[in-house]
Amino acid sequence: MAISPEYIALLRIGIGSSPEWKEAWERINDYLDALRTPDTIDRELILLSSFERAIVRKRRQPFTPATELAFEEAQKTLDFALRHLIDEGVSEDRRSVEQRVRLYLTENADGNFLGRTDEMSEEVRQALREVRLQAAPNLQVASITARPLEFSSPGKRIISLAEKLSPLGANRIVGWMIGLVILGLLVFGSLYRS
Amino acid sequence: MSENHRSGKLVGLIGAAGVKEAFHKKVRQRRLGVALVTFGISFLGLWLMIDIVGARGWTPLEVLEIGLFGVLFTNLAFGFTQAFLGFLVLAEGHEPLKITNTLDETTPLASTAVVMPVYNEDAETVFGNVRALYESIQQRHELDSYDFYILSDSTDPAKAIEEELAWSDICRQTNGFGKIHYRRRKLPVNRKSGNIADFCRRWGHRHRYMVVLDADSLMTGAAVSSLVRLMETNPRAGIIQTMPRLAKTETLFGRIQQFASRVYSPIFAAGLNFWQQGAGNYWGHNAIIRVSPFLASCALPGLPGREPLGGRILSHDFVEAALMRNAGWEVWFAYDLDGSYEGLPPNLTEYVKRDRRWCQGNLQHMWFLLAQNIQPISRIHLVQGILAYASAPLLVLFVLFGGLQAGIDRLQEKVGTFSAASAGVLLLMTVILLFGPKVLSLLHLFARPKEIASFGGPVRVLLSAVLETLFSILTAPVLVWFHTRFVLRNIGGQTVLWHTQTRDGGAGPRWIEIVREYWPLPIAGVGLGALAWWIAPSYLAWLSPMLIGLLLAIPVAKLSARTDLFRNLFLTPEELQPPQELSARFQLQLRDGDQFVHAVLDPFYNAVHVALQRSREAGSPAVDGYVASLATRLFKEGPECLTSQQKRALLADGETLAFMHNLIWKTPSEMMNPAWALALAQYRSSFRRNRSKPEAPQASLTKTHSAAA
Repeated sequence: MAISPEYIALLRIGIGSSPEWKEAWERINDYLDALRTPDTIDRELILLSSFERAIVRKRRQPFTPATELAFEEAQKTLDFALRHLIDEGVSEDRRSVEQRVRLYLTENADGNFLGRTDEMSEEVRQALREVRLQAAPNLQVASITARPLEFSSPGKRIISLAEKLSPLGANRIVGWMIGLVILGLLVFGSLYRS
Repeated sequence: MSENHRSGKLVGLIGAAGVKEAFHKKVRQRRLGVALVTFGISFLGLWLMIDIVGARGWTPLEVLEIGLFGVLFTNLAFGFTQAFLGFLVLAEGHEPLKITNTLDETTPLASTAVVMPVYNEDAETVFGNVRALYESIQQRHELDSYDFYILSDSTDPAKAIEEELAWSDICRQTNGFGKIHYRRRKLPVNRKSGNIADFCRRWGHRHRYMVVLDADSLMTGAAVSSLVRLMETNPRAGIIQTMPRLAKTETLFGRIQQFASRVYSPIFAAGLNFWQQGAGNYWGHNAIIRVSPFLASCALPGLPGREPLGGRILSHDFVEAALMRNAGWEVWFAYDLDGSYEGLPPNLTEYVKRDRRWCQGNLQHMWFLLAQNIQPISRIHLVQGILAYASAPLLVLFVLFGGLQAGIDRLQEKVGTFSAASAGVLLLMTVILLFGPKVLSLLHLFARPKEIASFGGPVRVLLSAVLETLFSILTAPVLVWFHTRFVLRNIGGQTVLWHTQTRDGGAGPRWIEIVREYWPLPIAGVGLGALAWWIAPSYLAWLSPMLIGLLLAIPVAKLSARTDLFRNLFLTPEELQPPQELSARFQLQLRDGDQFVHAVLDPFYNAVHVALQRSREAGSPAVDGYVASLATRLFKEGPECLTSQQKRALLADGETLAFMHNLIWKTPSEMMNPAWALALAQYRSSFRRNRSKPEAPQASLTKTHSAAA
């Protein structure tokens, strides 16, 4: 991609002179930072080509914010740069996600691989084309069904008794009163030794 | 032929009918021996108690007191018997009947899932532990046999996002994609047991075994592979439980427990294995399970009634062991297998909080005591689990009945007459039962000079043991208090709520929070003390260990969270020379702050999360409309406007979240909600400071002008 230094200088003057475009520039730079895009000539080119198109669009869509136009154009540039790593069948709104997944997976200490895709072997490219973030393996379903608990006959009698007594224990005040009455009876009974 | 080798052969030959019969006979003899010793001690204690209490005739309070004493003393005697027999086993140097005798390192491995159920846990800890095990197995070149599953039930959206990023990061760092799996349930149905059951339903046919770990569990690759080999060698084993050692604790409370567990538990563990053999128990983690019988037999039934005592089973482990035994499978305890570790709540308050859940779970097990077909040994395990908490209110009743009777006697001005000799002997017996296991453990340790050096030397061990004993005396009444409260509430049909929240940073709860929870204890201590003094000063002296614990509950709870006390004491081999798996520190690339905000703003967080969501193709218009309304609110009102449930609903829709990501990034700051503008500015500033500035327009402009000039 050949862009003359004069053109770049003019573009920058244009961006720097407008607060709206300045904010857009900062925003897109931050986004590329968030994507861990290294400071290279390719990053510069992504920025400039995106802004060039965004400025052209702004003339046609004067009421659309510059940040929005710049972001959309930056997305398109990324889309173009990573086009050979994303399957063509991937829907438009999903492409950005898939691109970011690939940038994330291949990120290293030097940042992401934007602009360095030419250095990749065909094997790596193929692997990246096929990659799909899958957190769990395919199902191999099995059945696990509980058997109901069967009680012994003394157990059933105890449960039946507990069910009858449960209304007494369900109320806190009644429960405390019953407890205190039992304790009182015990104390009374203990006043005299056998 | 070495003794161990012969022992291994013995167990290995159990399949042969004659040896099998010999084995069962031996086990029966051992169990009979344990029962005789336990009940012998109990009857002696009971006889002495009857001699003391019944000297002047009987009252109903005293009869009940004696009954309670019988239960509590038998429980104490059972623990002592186990410890004593364990001491003898370890002193003898070999145990012919233990599962690890059958370990053969040449046994081929089999497909095994390492599963870790998590619920709103710290992602760094969980994934750090998984990675430590993963790398440990990798170093042994045995990864082919294993798959790792982090089974999340996290309901906190921020935690869920953090887990996803931690998973992808750990996979990225270790090249573990396809080996380390992550699955999050949308609804945590049936909690941990439901989580494991869900795993079994999804991938139950994929693996022969599963090693279950807790969020704070850690095992070495060697330990896990040993478990798999033991399973392969013992085809009737359904579960093999390891003895996890406490590790990685930093607070005074944690280090004391870590030391106590490391020094005292070996003899208890050996004693437990001595009598239970293949009828062991399962503690819910750090164990291996044979998947196919687990699927066939261990699904948990519903309990009659509703929570807290009925409904869904909270504490699944004991029940699963009992069901496995019912189906004819063995449950073994590999008590001497090294390389199994677990964490511990950092302070007394957190420990009690955990007990609140466990208490409710264990009390539910009473239903299984009434059920058919539960094996007798499984019933003993269930009773022991129940008594771990129910013994507290029994002890309170015992003291209450004794105190009431003493009060009545004081009012009637009756002078107590009892046999001083019997009282002395009973006191001595009780002291031996309570502290004997500690002394035996120390004797066992002191007999091994190399081992004691790994604890920091004999002087430190002795000092630590004395201080640990004092600490346990101080904390015992606190535990009795809370356990009693939990049991009574649960029996009354209520679950116990806890208001305190431990702060991050290791400082533990604040004074005000401790006072709010513990204030009744010192008041009860003063009241009981005054009452005891009124009855008789000697009665006060008898109750004093309990009263001191109650009076000092608040400062003890606060001190328990300190990390700077006694750093030279309570040392353990794992602390002084930690194995590689414990000392490994892994750095995950996680961002600080609100993870939900990161899921919207951060291109990588957003992409990973969206990529992991199912496509919305099957969504109904109503759901789509709801999600769209949430997204609109989120954009207009900022990240704080949604509830946790609404955030979960939004996070479940990948497309909408991807749309939100683009929307926020392409909207000028002045056109978005100030909260989003601030969040974006903070997010951007987090990495902007590191950026060089070739692209800053003004700077470049100046440079260009200069060049042109």
